[in-house]
Amino acid sequence: MVDLWTTVVQLASLALAVWCGISAFRGQPMLVPHLVGIAVLEVLLLVQLVLSIVLLVRGPQPPDTVTFVSYLVTLVLVPPACAVWGFMERSKWGPAVIAFACLVLPVLMVRLEQIWNAPVA
Amino acid sequence: MPETEHDTTGTTRAGGPGRLLVAVYALFAVAATGRSTVQILTRFEEAPLAYSLSALAAVVYVVATVALARAGRVSRGVALASCTVELVGVIAVGLFTLLVPEAFPDDTVWSLFGRGYGFVPLVLPVLGLLWLRRSHPRSAASTGEPAGRG
Repeated sequence: MVDLWTTVVQLASLALAVWCGISAFRGQPMLVPHLVGIAVLEVLLLVQLVLSIVLLVRGPQPPDTVTFVSYLVTLVLVPPACAVWGFMERSKWGPAVIAFACLVLPVLMVRLEQIWNAPVA
Repeated sequence: MPETEHDTTGTTRAGGPGRLLVAVYALFAVAATGRSTVQILTRFEEAPLAYSLSALAAVVYVVATVALARAGRVSRGVALASCTVELVGVIAVGLFTLLVPEAFPDDTVWSLFGRGYGFVPLVLPVLGLLWLRRSHPRSAASTGEPAGRG
């Protein structure tokens, strides 16, 4: 795994979480700037996806490749799900959901790293 | 605060804070489904009990997510039932993994009261039940029955 990139994605996600958390406290619904933030996060995750696929093809592969790939795919789906949720819930609870998801995402990235670095059984 | 201006019928249980709850449930539905699918497809024979329980947990989370997200009396009943099953499940499996660890060579979502998931599986059904109780339509008075307890 490219540790530096993982850190970048995690920090971006946390930043978006803080921002959306503040918006939720202020009672704002999801607005266009939030959507831009979500889009940026998605781009970062897509880069992560491509990097990971390249590493997977080159090998060596993690012992549990299936789990690794399923985590990767789930991660990429998080920002679109956030956007959909923000459109559905036009109150402060839209950004609240996005903030929650952006807090979970770095944890998923940690798991991704763990699966990648797991010792071969 | 006009945040519930569309909340006129008492059927928008999934709106507002409930939406956050549904999001957490959706996450767990995805996580548990993914986890149990991988476990059962790749190594079911290693820990059949644990993996079957993972699958059961996944189904319960999916049902709870859908039921919480939908309005209506039936959905409310289903949500109540699935949250209760979850609470019983996480406590039972938690106790079981604590007392008879050898029966579970691999972890499930509910192992050790959901420790692997920050104990969220233990808290989630409680929040779900509290939310269902709080969001109970107060227009129940129209049917002449008080809000039942127990």
